[in-house]
Amino acid sequence: MQKKLFVVLSILILASLVLTACGTPAPKDVTLTLGSWRTDDVAAWEAITTAFHAKYPNITVKFDPTNPPDYNATLRSQLETGTGPDLFFVRSFGVGRELFDAGYIASLKDLPGINDTFSAGARAPWATDSGEPYAVPIAAVSHGIFYNKDLFAANGIEVPTSWEDLMAASQKLLDAGVTPFANGTKDAWDINEVVMMQLLPSDVGGYDGRMAYLNGDRCFNDPEIVAAFQQMADLKPYLPAGFEATSYADAEQLFAQGKAAMFFDGSWSIGQIKKDATAFQWGVFYPPALKGKDTYVSFHVDAAIGANAASKNLDAAKTFLAWLETPEFAALIGNNLPGFFPMTNEIPSLTDPIANDFMNFNKQAKGVDIRFVWEKLMDAPTDKVNAYTSLNNNVISVLKGEKTPEEAANAFNADVADWYGPASKCK
Amino acid sequence: MSQANLSKNQKPGLLNTENQRTLTWVLFLLPALLVYLVFMAGPLFDSLRLSLYTGKGYNPTEFIGFQNYIDLFTVPLWREKFFNAVTNTCIFFAIHMIVQNSLGLLFANLLSSDFKGRNFFRTLIFTPTTLSVLVVGFLWTLILNPNWGAVNQVLVGIGLEQWALPWLGRENLALPIIALTSVWQWIGMPTVMFLAGLTGISEELLEAASIDGASEWEIFWKIKFPLIQPVLGIIAILTFVDNFNAFDVIYAMAGAKGEPAYSTDLLATLFYRTGIAGEHPTGIPNMGMGATIATITFIILMSGVLLWLYLSRRNADETK
Repeated sequence: MQKKLFVVLSILILASLVLTACGTPAPKDVTLTLGSWRTDDVAAWEAITTAFHAKYPNITVKFDPTNPPDYNATLRSQLETGTGPDLFFVRSFGVGRELFDAGYIASLKDLPGINDTFSAGARAPWATDSGEPYAVPIAAVSHGIFYNKDLFAANGIEVPTSWEDLMAASQKLLDAGVTPFANGTKDAWDINEVVMMQLLPSDVGGYDGRMAYLNGDRCFNDPEIVAAFQQMADLKPYLPAGFEATSYADAEQLFAQGKAAMFFDGSWSIGQIKKDATAFQWGVFYPPALKGKDTYVSFHVDAAIGANAASKNLDAAKTFLAWLETPEFAALIGNNLPGFFPMTNEIPSLTDPIANDFMNFNKQAKGVDIRFVWEKLMDAPTDKVNAYTSLNNNVISVLKGEKTPEEAANAFNADVADWYGPASKCK
Repeated sequence: MSQANLSKNQKPGLLNTENQRTLTWVLFLLPALLVYLVFMAGPLFDSLRLSLYTGKGYNPTEFIGFQNYIDLFTVPLWREKFFNAVTNTCIFFAIHMIVQNSLGLLFANLLSSDFKGRNFFRTLIFTPTTLSVLVVGFLWTLILNPNWGAVNQVLVGIGLEQWALPWLGRENLALPIIALTSVWQWIGMPTVMFLAGLTGISEELLEAASIDGASEWEIFWKIKFPLIQPVLGIIAILTFVDNFNAFDVIYAMAGAKGEPAYSTDLLATLFYRTGIAGEHPTGIPNMGMGATIATITFIILMSGVLLWLYLSRRNADETK
């Protein structure tokens, strides 16, 4: 009996071996790891990588994110020790560029279609000065003010069309005993990235205006920058009573609980606010420019994916990168991650109405631009203060009443002119 | 093989009893020594070495001698950051030393006497020590929250609106408050150690004193306090080492940047930002400079401990 079983099993095993060998030579299965700083988006990225796997059954992509604050340092150490992921999210401008210059990121100058799918502006944050791309742009984020429609209606307030209107509306809310804005300064980054840098494009005149600063034609304490700091001073009375100790998470809760009428934030919060703010109607509008100025939207380049130059599966990695250019991926990212927008020339229509509202800002505005300090102004030598930190500190000083807008602008200008070549004459 | 046997057949050379005994000792020590060398001394010396290099990322390769040290003390930005951190760390340490240890001594003295519910209070005072620092930091951040925190709600409730401050958002308040939170958590440690010291004092001494007509106050200062001085020394040095290494409570309550405006930045948070995490949003660490800050922290700690050793040695000699 046992002998019989043994014989049958042996035949089966042999047969299976022979049959597999005779089958068509299937392409080798490869698994690629994808490093990222988006720990919140694991589910969405699984949907995206599954869709890719359905198209390329022999390539599996494993999403493997790192805690955002540790991402840059972790990735660098992985690349230096040869344990880096095959594919990884690449930060825009200086930070990503440095990894490319060090030879860790594969050049994509031969990646088919990259120049047709994305505009030069979308490629620039991940390309050398001569235009050689090294990462495929996948997502941009937008900014806006989330507002409580019920509170607006109860106080007879329309969506404002100028900064002056917005301030008048805020005063009306304050008089009615409602905290107009939820934002605080405890975490520091949010007041800088989602308030100050949301207003700056309209103040300085979008991309062209920003270029005038980068080229050294304008100084960082000119009337436009002073006006932006003045807007911070304008906002001060309308922030929560203890705004100095109100964190980003607190602010989101203040808005979601209906305790504050408006919340300066980024499009990435759509999902969070949907989950938390269930007791009232809410919407989003873009902060209008000062009277007499055009509105420019802070539509910020956020993420691109590059391939590890040392990856053993570089070809498979490039197959994935080429797939990122397809309309299929654009729709997947726009719909699976509401608030993150594909950067392709052709943008598919999005299913999320709030995400569509954000996209409409771009159409209604005079233009769009990235965050003011991201390009070049953060690349300070380690013994100097970069523009991000200086702007952040000065914005908080104005809000706390430690500096006037003029003093803040002068301090900001002094910090940048101290190391940024083109601004040296502004000293 | 017994000792007696060995000593009878004493051989000259390597394997005589004396050498064999040493060999045995060394063999017993070797595993621990190896672990110590690989996991403690090695990294320590590597960190000292690293402070002489510069470069981006985790493997600085460019040797620059003592340039990092020179920069730390001469470049205005570094000097400002560093001395700010040193000052804050000293304040943080002073608050612990004064508040935590005096209260610890007071509690220990109260808890060493006999009263109903003594064990309950002993447990109560030690409980926060068993919690995670992150949990304590998070709890107190919530309690102190200006929008819905208990502290401000109570203050407003009893009509003290002007006292309902954004506690953790004010540059002059944040550091003392975080230090007091830490005191609240760790108060159990000195209490327990002082308590052990006080319980160790012979009853006869105290009885003799009270028969001689000494008041409680006199008994404490003239008998108990001098006798627990060794404990005081140990607590002082432990507080010193813990506080000059403090990181977690600041990270939990004020973030790695030591908000607001670096007013709660300690040596350890400055080291973490410089050497490991990098500044937001670029996040590029400067390992060489980080190692330099770590080395200087090490030197400060080392001199503190050596001073304590010297003083306690001298004290011990005097009492002999």
